[in-house]
Amino acid sequence: MPASSSAPSPMALNPPSASQSTIRKRSSASPMSTATSYLSALPQADASARNSITPPPSTPALSLSSSTTDSAPNTPPDEYQELNGHLNGSGSADEFYFRAKGNGPGGEGDGLLTPLHPPTSEQVFTTVHTEFGHCANESYRFISKHPPGAPFPKHVEQDPPYYILFTTYTSYLILIILGHLRDFVGKRLNPASYKHLIPRDVSIIPLFLHLLFCGEWETAGSSCCRRVTGYRLGAVFAHSCLGIVLIIISQGYAPLNSDFDSFYTRRLKTRMDECFSQPVTGVAGRTIQILDRISPDYNETMILTGSRTRALNISSYNYLGFAQARGGCADAVEEAINRYGVSSCGSRLEGGTNDLHQIGEALVARFVGMEDAIIGSMGFATNSAFIPALVSKGCLVVSDELNHASIRFGVRLSGAHVRMFKHNDMKSLESLLREAISQGQPKTHRPWKKILLIVEGLYSMEGTMVNLPAIVELKKKYKFYIFVDEAHSIGALGQSGRGVCDFFGVNPRSVDILMGTFTKSFGAAGGYIAGSKTLIDHLRVNGHASPYAEAMTPPVLTQIIASMASIMGVAVPGTPLAERASAPQVHPGPAPPNALPTWLSLPPALSSGLEGSFRLRRLAFNSRYLHHGLKKLGFITYGHPSSPIVPLLLFNPGKMCIFHRMMKDRKTPIVVVVVAYPATPLVTGRVRFCVSAAHTKEDIDTILKSCDEIGDTLDLKHGIKRSERWTWEEVARRAVELVETAA
Amino acid sequence: MDNTTTTLEPIIIFLTRSLATLEWAFNKLPGSAVIQRYVKSSHQNDPGRTLLELILVVFAIRTLLQSRTQADRGEKHFIQFSEKEIDELVDEWAPEPLAQPLDDQTQHELDVLPIVAGGNGPKPKLVNTGKTVTNLTSLNFTGLAGNEFFKQRATETLRKYGLGSCGPPGFYGTLDVHMELERDIADFLGTESSIIYSQGFATASSVIPAFCKRGDIIVADRGVNFAIQKGIQISRSTVRWYDHNDMRSLEEVLEAVEKERQKRRQPLTRRFIITEGIFEKDGAMIDLPKLIELKFKHKYRLILDESYSFGTVGRTGRGLTELYNVPASKIDMLIGSIAIGLLSCGGFCAGSEEVINHQRINGLSFVFSASMPALLSVCASEAINTFRNTPSIFTQLQDNVRAARAILDRVDCITIPSHHASPIIHIYIRKSSGNLLHPKSAAVLTPFTPSKPSNYTSIFPRDPSWWECDIETEEQQLQEVVEEALSQGVMITKARRLRGQEMVEPRPSIKLAMTSALTRKETEKAVNVVKAALIKVLRK
Ligand SMILES: Cc1ncc(COP(=O)(O)O)c(C=O)c1O
Repeated sequence: MPASSSAPSPMALNPPSASQSTIRKRSSASPMSTATSYLSALPQADASARNSITPPPSTPALSLSSSTTDSAPNTPPDEYQELNGHLNGSGSADEFYFRAKGNGPGGEGDGLLTPLHPPTSEQVFTTVHTEFGHCANESYRFISKHPPGAPFPKHVEQDPPYYILFTTYTSYLILIILGHLRDFVGKRLNPASYKHLIPRDVSIIPLFLHLLFCGEWETAGSSCCRRVTGYRLGAVFAHSCLGIVLIIISQGYAPLNSDFDSFYTRRLKTRMDECFSQPVTGVAGRTIQILDRISPDYNETMILTGSRTRALNISSYNYLGFAQARGGCADAVEEAINRYGVSSCGSRLEGGTNDLHQIGEALVARFVGMEDAIIGSMGFATNSAFIPALVSKGCLVVSDELNHASIRFGVRLSGAHVRMFKHNDMKSLESLLREAISQGQPKTHRPWKKILLIVEGLYSMEGTMVNLPAIVELKKKYKFYIFVDEAHSIGALGQSGRGVCDFFGVNPRSVDILMGTFTKSFGAAGGYIAGSKTLIDHLRVNGHASPYAEAMTPPVLTQIIASMASIMGVAVPGTPLAERASAPQVHPGPAPPNALPTWLSLPPALSSGLEGSFRLRRLAFNSRYLHHGLKKLGFITYGHPSSPIVPLLLFNPGKMCIFHRMMKDRKTPIVVVVVAYPATPLVTGRVRFCVSAAHTKEDIDTILKSCDEIGDTLDLKHGIKRSERWTWEEVARRAVELVETAA
Repeated sequence: MDNTTTTLEPIIIFLTRSLATLEWAFNKLPGSAVIQRYVKSSHQNDPGRTLLELILVVFAIRTLLQSRTQADRGEKHFIQFSEKEIDELVDEWAPEPLAQPLDDQTQHELDVLPIVAGGNGPKPKLVNTGKTVTNLTSLNFTGLAGNEFFKQRATETLRKYGLGSCGPPGFYGTLDVHMELERDIADFLGTESSIIYSQGFATASSVIPAFCKRGDIIVADRGVNFAIQKGIQISRSTVRWYDHNDMRSLEEVLEAVEKERQKRRQPLTRRFIITEGIFEKDGAMIDLPKLIELKFKHKYRLILDESYSFGTVGRTGRGLTELYNVPASKIDMLIGSIAIGLLSCGGFCAGSEEVINHQRINGLSFVFSASMPALLSVCASEAINTFRNTPSIFTQLQDNVRAARAILDRVDCITIPSHHASPIIHIYIRKSSGNLLHPKSAAVLTPFTPSKPSNYTSIFPRDPSWWECDIETEEQQLQEVVEEALSQGVMITKARRLRGQEMVEPRPSIKLAMTSALTRKETEKAVNVVKAALIKVLRK
C-alpha cells in the first residue's frame, strides 16, 4: 500500500504517546490476527468507553476471549448483517465490473467495514470504523489556518478547453429542443399525462371531441413514443377516457405548475433524478447505507429494491465526523433523552424554553467569541426568521450574489432594499458601497438607515472562502454592519474550529453578527445567531421564531453542547486554564467547567479537548489532500485549498449522471453529490465532495483513484498539462508533502 | 410644404421598396407563414398582447445584457458625484445602531420568562423560582411529552442513526424513517402523500410560495397566523381578505373576485383560499363543510393550516377533517405541525402526489435545509401510532377543555373568542370592564353594522372592534395576571406577538393550552387559580 510505504508502521512513527484521544494504548498485547476478531473487539471497546464514565487512561485491556458474549448486545444490529450481506452477496456485480477492467484485487475487503490495515495490538479505537475511520498515523494531520500576513488566495475560475464549452452548450441545446419536441408531441398524443399542465377553463364539448380524436392517435403514438409493447387498444381507450374524466372534473382550475416553469424539472432534472434524493439509512458518517432503487419508467417513479449498499460517504456535511451513533456525544444525548424526553413543547417565548437552551446559548456565544447568542430550531429559519428583525424598509442589504436561499428569503421578508455584488469581489463591493452611500435611497436620496453586508463564511457550492480581512478593513471606512453566515465554516475552519474569524485571525467582535448552523460540523440540527447582548435580546423578542417557532428539542441541544464542548475542551476546576476560562473575553478558549449541564459528564478524551483538536487536524489534512490531489491528477477544482468543500468541475450535463453512477458502481461504492444548473451557472456543472474528519487517508486515496480512472474515461482532466500530471500512486505516496508544501 | 414632399419622395420610395424586398425574403423563409399567422391571430385576438410581447422581448434582451450585479447608473435619479464628494458623503453618513435596547416593560417580561428545569410536562420545575408549577403554557395537548416509550424509541433510533442527518433531503438526507413518517401521516389522514419539513413555523411560509406566484389570487382570512402572512407576502400574489371566520364574507369575496375577473377579462389564474383550522390568533374554529362547499363551487384550491387542530381534535386526533367527517383528500394542501400535534419537531403538508412532488422541488425550506433528525421523525411516527391505539387521550383533553371553559365562561371581566372544543383558550379583557373611561373604548362600543362590507383588498376590516384596543395597557394588565398566577403555582402565558411586525396587531390575550396529562381535578384547580388572578388584577 502506498500509504504505508511513507509510513511503514503507524505506531513506529508515533511513539506510543497517549496524546491521541481516540486511540488508547492496549497494555496487554493480545494480537488480533483476523478482521473478524478485530470487529468483535470493537463494540467491546465502545461499550467500555460508554459504560465507564471516567475510565482511567490505562483501562486494562479487554481480553478477547470475553468479547463475544459481552459485546453482542452493544453491537449495532445491522453491522454484522451488513458485513455478511456485503461479503457474500452484493459484491459480485461490482467485482465483475472491475475484474473486467483489470482493477482491484478480487476478494480483498474494500476497507469500508474494516480498515485496510488492521490495527496493531497496541491500538484500541473508540469509534466505529464505518462511522469514524481509524487513522493512527500522526503525519496525516494539518492545522487549518491562514498564514498571518499572507495574501488572500485569489480564486481563479479556470476555463476548460473550447470544445468542452461547445459540447456543454450543445448538450443543453439538444436537451431543450428534445424536451420541447416531446412536449409538443406528447400533449397531442397523450393528454392524460399532461393534465396537470393544461388549463382547464375550456368548455366541455369541444374538449371531449378533441380528446376522442387524440385518443385514436394515441394508439399509433404509444407504440413509438412510450416504448410499451402490448399496449392494447382497449387500454388506450380506457386511458383516454380517464384523461377526459379527470380533465372534466378539474375543469375551472388553472394548472398548478405552469408549463414553462416546470419545463426544467420535467425535461432536464428528471433525466438526472437518479443522482438526487437517494434514500439512505443509518448514520451519515464516513460510510452510509443507501437503499438501492431502480426506475422502470425513465425516472418517473423509483422503486426500492429492498437491498442496501454500504458506500463511502463523501457527500454529507459531516465535517468533524460528529454524525455518530456511538461515542461520548451519543451517550450524552441518550442521557438527555432519559432526563428531558424529546419534545420542547412550544416556542421560546411561550413555555418552550428550558435550562439547556440557556446553557447552549451561553456556550455558543463563548465558542464563537461573542457576548451572547440565540438558538433556533432550524438553520434555514434562523436566517429567514431573524434577518427581518435586523433590517427593514429604508435599510440596504448588500449581499453576495451566491448567498444561500435562506438569506434571500429573509431579506425579501424584511422589506429592505437589496443590492448584490460579484461573488467575493472586493472591488465590486467597494464601488457598490460608494455608490449606495452617496446616492442614498432610491428616488428620495435620503441616507440609508443602516447598511447590512451579508456574506457566507464558506460558500457551499464553490468552496470559496469570504475575504474577511478585506471586509473588516472596508467596514472601517464605510460603517456597514457585517453578517457572516458560517453555516459551513463553523467548526470546519480555523485552528480551533471557530470558523472564518479563527482561520484568518480576525477578532470575532469586529464582525457584528455571526450566524451558523448546527447541521453540519456538529452533527445536530438548527442554527444560531451571535452578537452583542443588546442585539440578541432584541432578537429574543422581535425575531419571528421567538414567539412562533417551536424551540429546539433537548436531544438536539445536547448533541450541540457535547460536540461543541469537546471541540473547546472543558477546563478542569482549579487549574490555570479554568481561571482563564472564567474570564469573559477569552477567545478561543476552553469551556468553563460550569458551562455544561451538571449531569453531563463527557469521557476524558472529549472533555480534554484532545479529540476535538484531533478531528480538526484530520479534517484540515483531508481537505487539503483531496484538493491538491485532484489538482495534481489534472482536474479543475474550485475553492480555497483549506476548504472541506471540494468542487470538481464536470461541465457536460451527461457526464454528471455517468460520473455519479460510475462512482456508485465501483467495488468500493462512493456516493457523490452532483450539482447542475440552476444551482450553478449553466456550463459549470460539478461534483461536490464534502470531506470529513471521519475519512482516513486511505479513503481519500480511494476517492482520488476512482476520480483518476473515471476522469480518464470521461475526459475530465483539463486543469494542467498532461506532462505535469501525477499518477494517483504518486499523489498517494507524496500526500504529506502535497498537503504541507502546496499553496 | 411641396418642397418637403419632393425631397422626401425618393426616401419614401426607397423605403417601400426595401420593405417589399424584405417581405418577399421573409415569405421565402421556411416556416414564415406559421409565424405570420401566429402574430396575426394573436394581434387580432388581443392587440394589447402584441405590445406586451414586444416589450417582453425588449426586456428579455435588456436583462440578458445587464449583469445582475451591475450598478443602476442608468437610472434617471442618478446623481453624478466626483470621487472626493463621494468620500465626503461616506464620511458624513452615520448609520443607526443595529438594535435598540429593549424598553423596560419588554426587558422585564424577558427577565421573568419562565424557564423549565429538566423535562417539560404537566408539572415542571422552573429555573427562576426552583418551584414546581402546573403547566398551562406548553403545547403538550396529548400529554405525550416525557413518555417513557418514546424515550426508549428515541434511544434506539439514536443508536442506529446518530442524531443529525447532515444533509438536505436532495443530497443523502432522505432517511428511510422520513419516508416512513411521510407515509404514516398520509395514511393517518387518508391523503395520497405527504412531505415533512424540519420546522413547523417554516412550513406554511414555504408551502404557500411554492404554489402561489405573482398574478395568482389568494383569498385569505383576516385572522391568519404570522407564518401564513409571511408566506403570502413572499408569494407576491394578489390577496383578497375576508372577515375573520365568516363564511358569508368569504362567499361575497369569492363572488367579487370572479366578477372582477370577468369584467377585466383576465385569464384563468391559480386561485387559493388560505385559512386555518383552529386559529392560532384566537382559537376560533372554521366551518369546514361550508368552506369545502364554497371551495368546490368557486373552483379554488384550499390551503388549510391545521397546526393547532391536527393532533388535538377529532376522535383520534386527525384534526378538523375527522371532527367534521370530511375526507382530508378534499383539502388540496393540508398543513400541520409535527411539533405541536405530534410533540416532536417540524411540520408537514399532506395532499395529492402532484401537490407533494411539486414541493419536493419548489418548497424552499424543504430543498435548502437539512432534513429532520431521525429520532424526532421516529417519535412522530410513534405518536401517530399512539393516537390510533389510545383515543382516550383526546377524550381526556376534551374533558379538560370543557372543565376549563365551564369555569372561565362565568368570569365577567373577560371574553373568550375560542371555540368550545379548542384546546387553546384565548382570554381577552372585556372592553366594557375596568377601563370604561378610556376614550378609545367608547368608540368601540358602537354597534356592528353588517350592511357595510369591508374592503377586501385590505387586511383591516371596516369594523375595527376586534383589533382596535389599547394594546399597551392591556398587555401590561395581562402580564400582571400571568405573574400573579405564577406566584400561585400555575404557569400561564400571554400570547406573544411581534408588535410592529404583524399585518394587523392582534388583540392582547392570555393563551391557555390544555393538556390531557392533567386530570380534570387538576385542571379545574389550575384554572380556578387563573380565574382568581384575572379577577384580582382586572377588578382593581
Ligand atoms: C449558507 C447556509 N445557510 C443556511 C443553511 C440552512 O441550514 P439548515 O440546513 O440547518 O437549515 C445552509 C444549508 O445548506 C447554508 O448552506
